[in-house]
Amino acid sequence: MSAHSTHAYTGEAPKVWPAKVNQIPKEIFGDAAIFEEELKKIFYGDTWHVVGHTAEVPNIGDFKTFDLGRVPLLIARGKDNQVRVFFNSCTHRGNQLETSVSGNRKEFECPYHRWLFSLEGTLAACPGSKEFAPDFKQENFGLVEVKTDQYLGLILVTMGKNTPPLKEWLGESALPTLTALLGGDGRLKLLGYQKVRYASNWKGYNDNDGYHAPLLHTGFRLLNWQGGKGFQRMTENGHVIFEAELKPATGNGFLKDPSLIAFKGSNPERGSVITQLFPMTVMTKHMDVINLRFAIARSHDTTEVHYAYFAHEDDSEELVQHRIRQSSNLLGPCGMVSMEDAAIFQRIHIGNQTPGFAEFQKGVTSLTEIPTDVKQNDETGNLPRWEHYRKVMGFKREGEQ
Amino acid sequence: MSQAVTAAHTSAIDALHTVYVAALDQGDMAAWAATFAVAPETSYFCISAENDRRGLPLALMYDDCRGRIDDRVSFVTKVWAGTYQPYRTRHFIQRLSCESAGNNQYRVTSGFMIMMTPEGGATTILTSGEYRDLIELQGEGDKVRAVFRERRAVYDADVLPRYIVFPF
Repeated sequence: MSAHSTHAYTGEAPKVWPAKVNQIPKEIFGDAAIFEEELKKIFYGDTWHVVGHTAEVPNIGDFKTFDLGRVPLLIARGKDNQVRVFFNSCTHRGNQLETSVSGNRKEFECPYHRWLFSLEGTLAACPGSKEFAPDFKQENFGLVEVKTDQYLGLILVTMGKNTPPLKEWLGESALPTLTALLGGDGRLKLLGYQKVRYASNWKGYNDNDGYHAPLLHTGFRLLNWQGGKGFQRMTENGHVIFEAELKPATGNGFLKDPSLIAFKGSNPERGSVITQLFPMTVMTKHMDVINLRFAIARSHDTTEVHYAYFAHEDDSEELVQHRIRQSSNLLGPCGMVSMEDAAIFQRIHIGNQTPGFAEFQKGVTSLTEIPTDVKQNDETGNLPRWEHYRKVMGFKREGEQ
Repeated sequence: MSQAVTAAHTSAIDALHTVYVAALDQGDMAAWAATFAVAPETSYFCISAENDRRGLPLALMYDDCRGRIDDRVSFVTKVWAGTYQPYRTRHFIQRLSCESAGNNQYRVTSGFMIMMTPEGGATTILTSGEYRDLIELQGEGDKVRAVFRERRAVYDADVLPRYIVFPF
């Protein structure tokens, strides 16, 4: 017998969630008002956000621009070799300072009134300053820095007042996997980007699970690509870590060029690792692909992802070349494996504009307890993240005071 | 040895573009692959203008040998079948330059625009860009036929408006 919806559907997300922890109200994906709340409570709140890696700006004067929600950021390497994150805004009238996505500058100049800023953010020149307000002091008008910290070159920022220190926020249990993912020491070399917008809510983009992999991805079956032993681990503040051994794929004769799926890495016991940081950063090392996905929540129904790929500084030329072709063809918005994930991000967003709940099943052992111990191919690894999200957003559960 | 570019050469090259467009706009991946030479070192790359400009080698599609071009056909027709939201395309190509590279080969650049229509949706621009090709003329006289030895599709969009199934 099929179920019938018993409530009028408004599309408005409920402020009280069901008592059952494996049910997520579907309206949470499509409600534009909720997105405004998320900007305040999550993206501008007490959470760290991944905005880049220092390998993207390897030389003095290199910069890239990025957005945190609607806030424009300017990430630049100074003459002192420090990478800083500024608001991309002239300290005079707020004009957008840098318009390029990336580049190299000797300084940053606002064209409006020619205020000139050094790579380190100090205000170097401002025409006509003799006639400025009596309290004007040039040293007080440097570019405003966003609170930032790094882990092995990974650049994170926060605008919250009470954000915990970075290492505490990442959690001890997440560090070994993240370290392995970043090549052990973070000495990475940028290979390039694949940038795309998905017609999906950021939470749908970020809700992929351990259950789907052998079922959605036909390529794994066609290539006789078996997953190895592994685990999935979560932190209370919504991070998820996956690790799996990688058995060499036989290829089954399916590919004319099986070298694409060759694994040349030296650590097969960590052949496939994923670190997913709350709220929406997914990073993976799969075979010889090192992929950091810098994501921007543009609106309730648009998520932008900059898939950035890296080699390690110590790689041989041959390994770099292998990484380039494997990275280009496997895990991006046109990748043999992950194009299907991208399709799901958009389809799940359309399908969730309906009444009822997104139902988690695989691995659920309790309807009232948030799982802490999950298996590799369970989808319950996502529930601690949803619980953290619910608490940060201030939604109560049925029966909760 | 360099050779002159004649009307017969450009006519064969334009005919290749036409066959390429017809293949992709009909979603015929086998016909797409057939526009490439059978030589093992034949290549197809689809790369963002940003990566191209910055000298970053990573591409959206990196088919650096003939086998990988055939494997891309398998991705679309076998691996991804039934997962993606269907869309149709219309390609428009404008040849910009054509120079002889010797040995019956020509360096050709063309502007392109791709319109896309998702099933049930309105038509929008997927991206524009530039093809940088090495095209080879095979055969003699009336039988002359052009094939791609290299095709490099450099797309303009800094951020693509959707995930991509079909080559550009």
